[in-house]
Parts: sequence; structure tokens; C-alpha cells
Amino acid sequence: MERIMIINGSPRAPKSNSKRYAELFSRYCPVETDYYNLTKRNHRQLCELMAGYSDVLFVFPLYADALPVGFLDFLKELEANPPARKPMVSILINCGFLEYSQNEIAIEMMHIFCRKNDYRVGSILELGSGEAILGTPFKYVAVRAIKRLARSVAHGEHRTIKATMPLSKRLFIWASTYYWTAFGRKFGVSKSRMQTMQIEDGRLPDLPLAGE
Amino acid sequence: MKLIMCDRPIQVNIRDNSDIKYIDLSSLKIANCTGCFGCWTRTPGKCVMRDDATRVYPYIAASDTVLYVSRVKYGGYDSVMKRMLERAIPVQQAFIRIFKNETHHVQRAVVPKRATIVAYGDIDAEERALFEKLVARNASNMSFESHEVVFTPEAELDDCVKKIVERWNG
Ligand SMILES: Cc1cc2nc3c(=O)[nH]c(=O)nc-3n(C[C@H](O)[C@H](O)[C@H](O)COP(=O)(O)O)c2cc1C
Repeated sequence: MERIMIINGSPRAPKSNSKRYAELFSRYCPVETDYYNLTKRNHRQLCELMAGYSDVLFVFPLYADALPVGFLDFLKELEANPPARKPMVSILINCGFLEYSQNEIAIEMMHIFCRKNDYRVGSILELGSGEAILGTPFKYVAVRAIKRLARSVAHGEHRTIKATMPLSKRLFIWASTYYWTAFGRKFGVSKSRMQTMQIEDGRLPDLPLAGE
Repeated sequence: MKLIMCDRPIQVNIRDNSDIKYIDLSSLKIANCTGCFGCWTRTPGKCVMRDDATRVYPYIAASDTVLYVSRVKYGGYDSVMKRMLERAIPVQQAFIRIFKNETHHVQRAVVPKRATIVAYGDIDAEERALFEKLVARNASNMSFESHEVVFTPEAELDDCVKKIVERWNG
């Protein structure tokens, strides 16, 4: 029977945007889904469970222009412990910047992983402005894209979908400045403190040496 | 200042040249970034996890020339280097600007740098091409004024690094 395994590769999985995107996916998916957070300790278990699924959806953020390291480590574990039956791999990636195209390198890394390990690639959603979009009037853009993703994975009609806030770069910067200023205010940190140019209070620490 | 940051030990003689700093990430205790954004919103410019990474990113920021040495996996940095690059986001602000016609973070006191990335491991043509694209993209987020990628077999790593450092010494 068809069943979709969703793996959340965000380092803050329980509190992540990826989790909310995964929930939307499940809500709109006509096929049953099972959701798992990637943790430090469950890599092997997830590799084993994967054999029971026709499809896997990896949901994760863009980190430093590529895959988050915890998720990369999971892929390496999966390479070493392939499931008896390999599901079709679909991907929902989100990044903080406006341009969904900034996700492309991470997507190409996923293609290389799949090619090297004989997984077929299914549908892909590349989301820009993914840090904030669900809390804005543009939530509908993300919801619509995820709905299309969920249907395409469930029906096996694979496609690549791209979405972001329909804003100019300038307006996006204005909106993101508001977002981050409010984020700091929650911790009692002012905008000007957040704008400090100092790193580690402007001091160069002792060089880290092996085995200290 | 110049920085050599590698994901495994390298034999390189820099003792009498204090302008060059050497950091072997594989010998340090560095945890994965948890994506809390504390370094942007709670203690700006400082990571809230006080492990060895907090002694590495100030050197990244202060260097005008960097040499990163990393194994390549799936066309990207392998885990040891990638973990540190993720932990280096305290050098940026939360705030966003337009840079090269894309949205990117404002940098704190980060010296613009010439970057050389030495990539090693079992790397096929597709991975090479992707890794080059990745470094070009990193340039916008990591203040690389110029960048060069050098691919080398692991067995020739020490030699490759030596040649690059000799070039620095002019
Ligand atoms: C260490 C780190 C690196 C990041 N690197 C990028 C990046 O290179 N490009 C980008 O657009 N967003 C980047 N982001 C932003 C995340 O992709 C964005 O906040 C995303 O919504 C997080 O999703 P999550 O809540 O599911 O983890 C980075 C965030 C962190 C914490």
C-alpha cells in the first residue's frame, strides 16, 4: 500500500518551519503520511523504517547554501544502511532569503545523493522567504504550493514547484527588518544592539588548539 | 591575517610566520548549529553555545586571506567543515540587504577576503561542477572578494597546501 514517510531534517525540528510545512503537506495529501523528526539518535531507525514506504518526503531548511549538517550526516548513514526497498524521494526545502533559487545547490546535492544511491527523485518544492511566510498575508502562497506538492507526490505526477513571497527585494527587506526587530524585542534586545558590528565583543580569542 | 582551516590535520610549516593561523577543525569540539538565532537576537555577535566554534569564527571574520581544506560529499562540504561554516553565522546580522542583486545578510566586522578552497576526496565531474557553484554562492554570504577552488587527491593534500602557502609568502 502507498504510504509516505516524512522526515524533518531541520536542526530545530520540533519547533521548525519545516514542521509546519510538513503538517500542511499531510493535511492536503490524499495518501497516508507518517511524520518523523530527525534526531541525533534515530538515524539508523529511520533507515530501517524507510523500507515500508513507497515515498519519502525530506523537509529541511537551507543552511549555509547547502544541506544542514545533521541532515547530511543522516544521508551518509542512509548510504551505509540502505533500506531493503528504496522509496521515491521527494523534497520540500525552504530558505530564509527571498529568492527560491538560492535552494538550487542543495537540490543538486540531493540529486547527486539519489544518483549515487539509486533512489528515484519525485517532486520538489523550493520555497523562498520560508522563515517568515506562514506568519504573513502571503501564507496562501506557501499553502497553495504545498497542496500542489502533496497532490503530485500522492498521484505520482512528479514536478518541481517554486514559490516565494510576491514582494520586491526592497519590500522584502523592509518586512524582514520588521520581523527580526520584533524577534529581538522578545528577548529585550534592541535593533541597534542587534546591529552591532562586533563579533565576540570585538576580542580575538586565543587560537583554539587541539585537545585543550 | 591569513587563516588555514582544515577538516583534518595538515603538515604545514608556519611556525615562524605569525600572520598565518592554522585551525584543524577535526581536533576541536564543535556541536551542530541548532538554528536558535541567539547570535542575531539574544547575544548579537556571539553564539549561545560556548564550545570551540566561538574561538574559530572570530578568526574567519578577521582574515583577509583564507584557505579552507575540506573533503567533498555529494558535491558539497563534508560534515566537519560544513558544521563550522554553519556555526559561523554570528559574523552576520539578522538584517538583510541587497547584494549582487539578491537578498543577503548584512555582515558585521568581517574583512573581505581572498578565499582558496582545497577540495579533496573521491570527486566525480558532476560533484566538481556543483562544488564550484557552491563556493561561488558562498562568496556572497561569506565575504569572498575572490575565490578559487583547487581539487586534489587526499594523498597530495599536504603538498597542495604547501604550494598555496608558498604563494602567499610570495
Ligand atoms: C546556520 C544557518 C544557516 C542558514 N543559511 C541560510 C542560507 O544560506 N540561505 C538562506 O536563504 N537561508 C539560510 N538560513 C535560514 C533558514 O533556511 C530559514 O530560517 C528556514 O526557514 C529555517 O527552517 P526551519 O525552521 O525548518 O529549520 C540559515 C539559517 C541558519 C540557522
